[in-house]
Amino acid sequence: MSLDLARIALLAIALHAAGARADDPAAPLFSFRGFGTLGIAHSSDDQADFTSSPAKPYGAGFSHAWSAELDSLIAGQVSARLGPRFSAVLQVVSEQNYEHSYRPHVEWANVKYQVTPDFDVRFGRTVLPGLMLSDSRKVGYSNPWVRPPVEVYGSIPVTSNDGIDAAYRMPMGNATNTFQLTVGRTDSKFPGATSEARQLAVFVDTFEHGPATARLAFGRARITLPALDPLFDGFRQFGPEGAAIADKYAVDNSLVNFFGVGASYDPGRWFLMGEWVGIDGHAILGKKSAWYASGGYRFGKVTPYATYSRAKAEGLSDPGLTLSALPPELAGPATGLNAALNATLQAKVVQSTISLGARWDFRKDTALKLQFDHIRVGAGSSGTFSNLQPGREAGARVDLFSATIDFVF
Amino acid sequence: MDYFKARVAATLAGTLLGVGPGMAAADVVAVVSAKCPVTTLSKNQVADIFLGKSTRFPDGSAAVPIDQAEGSPSREEFYLTFSGKSPAQLNAHWSKMIFTGRGQPPGEVANGADVKRRLAENPNAIGYLDPALVDARVKAVTTP
Repeated sequence: MSLDLARIALLAIALHAAGARADDPAAPLFSFRGFGTLGIAHSSDDQADFTSSPAKPYGAGFSHAWSAELDSLIAGQVSARLGPRFSAVLQVVSEQNYEHSYRPHVEWANVKYQVTPDFDVRFGRTVLPGLMLSDSRKVGYSNPWVRPPVEVYGSIPVTSNDGIDAAYRMPMGNATNTFQLTVGRTDSKFPGATSEARQLAVFVDTFEHGPATARLAFGRARITLPALDPLFDGFRQFGPEGAAIADKYAVDNSLVNFFGVGASYDPGRWFLMGEWVGIDGHAILGKKSAWYASGGYRFGKVTPYATYSRAKAEGLSDPGLTLSALPPELAGPATGLNAALNATLQAKVVQSTISLGARWDFRKDTALKLQFDHIRVGAGSSGTFSNLQPGREAGARVDLFSATIDFVF
Repeated sequence: MDYFKARVAATLAGTLLGVGPGMAAADVVAVVSAKCPVTTLSKNQVADIFLGKSTRFPDGSAAVPIDQAEGSPSREEFYLTFSGKSPAQLNAHWSKMIFTGRGQPPGEVANGADVKRRLAENPNAIGYLDPALVDARVKAVTTP
């Protein structure tokens, strides 16, 4: 039996290699495709690492003036047609991860059941569809820029969800409206921390009319960050004042709400797009918003583009425990706790970036991109930077140069 | 610079009027089987079917798009006229659809003659042809 299956799989792969397509009667059972990015980036700031995601411990700047670890990744995807209504997708991605290794991880693994031509349900690991480009944020080739704007896309670093996802497409004359509901849970690993999201639900409405797309998204989740427990256990030893601080900031099954709105217009020769996101509900995870606007014009195979993006946040500092009210022998530990709390709050991103770049589709399925970013980090925020050195000045101005080759195969 | 401005203005005007670039050169028409009841589709509706955004005709019946081989002049003309997308943009679009599990590109045939053969076999199929190749087995869809 399994031998037969293996034979069928081989035959299917052979058919695929011969150029068969999915909608053909002779379409393959399995198909394999992949995408990747080879990238290098240079930062003018040697006192911190610019990173493209909070999940990546190292970037360009302090650790390496030129870093290939920021944008490089490789991914493979197996798609299987399991019948007229069932299909499955397995996508595995290798990129710099939370422990600074490139161990491949399963980004998607789901089975899709096509209930009607306009209604499908997916089970398993799917995209967490918070943002307009969530689906394709890792597929550099399908995006105009070197990377999606970090102020917005860094605000939702969780990319996948384990659960159920249903999409219903409603044709409306010349236009299409699609409702998508995703529910589930997910654990995401960051350097030194794991974020546990439970009771996760995201609702997305996408309206498409020819070259115009508009999108609304609402989401909520209960988040737990066990890595912060020792800090707040420490605060709780300092009486009512410490307990109040711990109650305010501890991330323990804490409700977080998310709202996003986006639009794009792409008639062919040029494109314009923008998104705004707001995250609310918790003192550390919420009280922040971000947006970007971007446009480009296509001169044949070369597409110059410009982007402005900006993130703001409230509550970047807290006076913490009142030291003068403490006996001298407790002032030292209290100072340490206050510093650790403020370092956590400063990780909220206040930052803006002006990006200028160009994409060159120099050969089939391959694009070269060059991008220059001027980044302004808000005072009191560490921005999208890691490995901050003690002497780093507040409110840094950083120039970043990036080059990538994006490909699909 | 003036050229650039004129081009942007023309594109804007074209967009506002609902006509795409390449509108004037009708070297390619959307075609369905002679047995298919569909007679009229907007450019958007045709584009949505070929871009995997829609799987049906407006009357609710299934729509199966048939592409011509990559690099064929009809194909480039068709996508530019109906969706405004160049071959590179089309590749980027499909990389997005494929890697999100949202769809697969249309099945493709070698040339216009094969498109007609496929349409004769399948009343749900939709393709595109050089108008000179239209014969009794297929009918051109009017695109208002």
